[in-house]
Amino acid sequence: MDMPAYYEFCCRVKIISGHDVLERIPATLAELTARRPMIVTDKGVVGAGLINVVVNAIGGRVDITAIADDVPPDSDLRIVNSLARLYREKGCDSLLAIGGGSVMDTAKGINIIVSEEADDLMRFSGANALKRALRPLIAIPTTAGTGSEVTLVAVIKDHEKHLKMAFVSNFLLPNACVVDSRMTLTLPPAATAATGMDALSHAVEAYTCLAKNPLSDAHALAATRLISDNLLKVTLNPGDKEGRLGMASAATLAGIAFGNSMVGMVHTLGHSVGSVCGVPHGACMAILLPYGLEYNMHKNGHLTAELLFPMAGAPVYAATPKEERAQAVIALIRRMNQELYEATGGRHARFFKEALDRDGREMVPKERLPDIAETALRDGSISYNPEDLDYDDFLMVMEAAWEGRPLDTGLIRKG
Amino acid sequence: MYLPERYEFFCPVKINSGKRALEQLPFELDALNARKPLVIAGNDAGEKGLVGVIIDAFKDSGLAIGIHDGVPSAPDLRLIRELFNIYRDRGHDALIAIGGGSAADTAKVLNIAVSGKPEDIEGCAGENLIKKPLKPLIIVPTTAGTGYEVSKYAFFAGRDYASHFLMPNLAVIDPRMTIPEDAVTTAAAALIALTHAAEAYTGAGKNPLADAYAYTAIQLIMENLVNVIGDQRDKNGRLSLANANALAGCAFSNVALGVAHKLGKVMGDLCGLPPGLCMGMLLPRVLEREMSEGGYHIADLLLPLAGFDTYASTAADMKARRAAEIIHDLLKDLSAANGGVISRIWKDIQVSEDTLQDIAQRAGVNEASFDIDGCAKILREAREGR
Repeated sequence: MDMPAYYEFCCRVKIISGHDVLERIPATLAELTARRPMIVTDKGVVGAGLINVVVNAIGGRVDITAIADDVPPDSDLRIVNSLARLYREKGCDSLLAIGGGSVMDTAKGINIIVSEEADDLMRFSGANALKRALRPLIAIPTTAGTGSEVTLVAVIKDHEKHLKMAFVSNFLLPNACVVDSRMTLTLPPAATAATGMDALSHAVEAYTCLAKNPLSDAHALAATRLISDNLLKVTLNPGDKEGRLGMASAATLAGIAFGNSMVGMVHTLGHSVGSVCGVPHGACMAILLPYGLEYNMHKNGHLTAELLFPMAGAPVYAATPKEERAQAVIALIRRMNQELYEATGGRHARFFKEALDRDGREMVPKERLPDIAETALRDGSISYNPEDLDYDDFLMVMEAAWEGRPLDTGLIRKG
Repeated sequence: MYLPERYEFFCPVKINSGKRALEQLPFELDALNARKPLVIAGNDAGEKGLVGVIIDAFKDSGLAIGIHDGVPSAPDLRLIRELFNIYRDRGHDALIAIGGGSAADTAKVLNIAVSGKPEDIEGCAGENLIKKPLKPLIIVPTTAGTGYEVSKYAFFAGRDYASHFLMPNLAVIDPRMTIPEDAVTTAAAALIALTHAAEAYTGAGKNPLADAYAYTAIQLIMENLVNVIGDQRDKNGRLSLANANALAGCAFSNVALGVAHKLGKVMGDLCGLPPGLCMGMLLPRVLEREMSEGGYHIADLLLPLAGFDTYASTAADMKARRAAEIIHDLLKDLSAANGGVISRIWKDIQVSEDTLQDIAQRAGVNEASFDIDGCAKILREAREGR
């Protein structure tokens, strides 16, 4: 195991995880000396009846001072500002974020404003602009994917100015996360598949990209194992509580892994496809993950090969010759996508050509690929990718991922 | 993969490890809202040059630091009073402890006092009696660090403390501080960590997060301990061991105490031996016993001990046994690597039958397969080298 010349690792989030842990919320708030939480969530979470589950579990032991359920699927500065006003008006003293990535981002944004008594969020964007602890924030994830319950990042969009603000600080880590299997039991199969593959992409890129460290590796291996064991199961059988808990733990572990080791080109391109064409993040990750591993194979194939152990189990690992293991991992990920495609009645896209919006329209028209490649050049995550990519490289990968054919190894740059 | 019905995990410790990690201290203090740390070190840290490295790290920072490098191996309450006054009178706002052992314990207990009042250190002794976060605490581990220093435990003047609030905000692992130590000290520290990590990985309270810390610690110890004992110049190996020991302390703080830990600790105290050497010699025997009683996570321990290939090529029903063997082998290799000093200590252990019963009783192990007779039997086997 390689000890990096220098690394940092931090996850001070108290992790409370299990089948019936929402009941721990009142005690957890009390430990944080918080009495008047505001719930931040979205309509989907409310519609699925999950707010009721949380409220019932809290059982009147806490004064839920405000409930804001209008977080949009894409975080929005205006909403962040208006919810921060609500928080102040109602005299809240803490935040319960119940939802997926956008809800977590929004709650983190609100927290910056109310803690710093700021009006201009922009002043705190970038890395390490925050200097002190914020108000207590408890994250309660309703997807098993983003890992935002344990990450130090928030992304808030200013739709008026067409700006995307990123905030990075250990102070953005929630104080606690309450990961309860009940919260993902109703997640539909396609969303289960996509968010699960998002978690897998976190684990795999954390393990195979440049800023890895021994501790992030251990988190990534455990996450990979849990996803391989459980993702198809819960997609086929959404009520599988054990499987749901496995996926929820995997997402947390993968979030800790990539939060402490960064990610690479799969995320670079995924962000770009998301911002140019609006494809959900998890769907992008699922499609791009095998391509990232193929592209970097000459640099990190030995690391990809090791992932065969958590992905396929000890017997398959032992029976596969060393030099074939990395290819076997890529084949397994493609097979996972195929199985998830079948398990969701075709809603889990295997390649971008197949990605459809709610009305059945193609989301990634082929003529947008150059825009995507162009956008990728400006994404910071590329600096942790083992091999370099320029515009032509990005476009080459996108063309293959659009068609759904493996990369032509002859076209990969070998720096 | 094992997943408990419910679990909690908390590790507030940020880890900065590697080259020039100490130079990050001013920045990290700023993030902790502190500007004037009091550095606490053992009374041998100065002569080893460790205090000088810390002073250098602050040279360009414009921050004023205080230094107390006179902590003896068995400090008492007078020292806490003295340091409490210094901290208060000179306006310190954070603590930095160099190394493990008494310096770290002193810093932790002092932190209780400076975060409240000196009398609190009586009321807070025991389990989970600290009710709020303390002042910023940073630990700078050295090779002799066992991982206790980053854990939730502190031992001071006959009192035992356990609270997550005692864990440091930050551990700074810098190769300039993980200097060569004698083989016995190095081995004893790493064997405490190995015992803590292995028992976290196989025992009550096991969960995926604690597992990740334990897994990493075990791997790093297996890959580096014998080399470092054979050649203390192995700088990267020493850094790896310091990492392993710290990570084991984090895992250990989130699970129940294991049998090898409990017996080894009491045995060390009663027999005047390094507790790590006691825990190390007991660990494989405790695992064997647990195995025969159906302890089902021991087979999994083979993975961090030996790696993917060995794990995959070992038959399912042999994995647990193989794991215990590997630890026996490690102990043999340690002895060989160091010209027999460690094995002589093990060989020379004279534990009378009375002492042995005494250890078994005092260890407070209360598990089906480890009643007092069971514990005594393990100790007897270890004594006789069986």
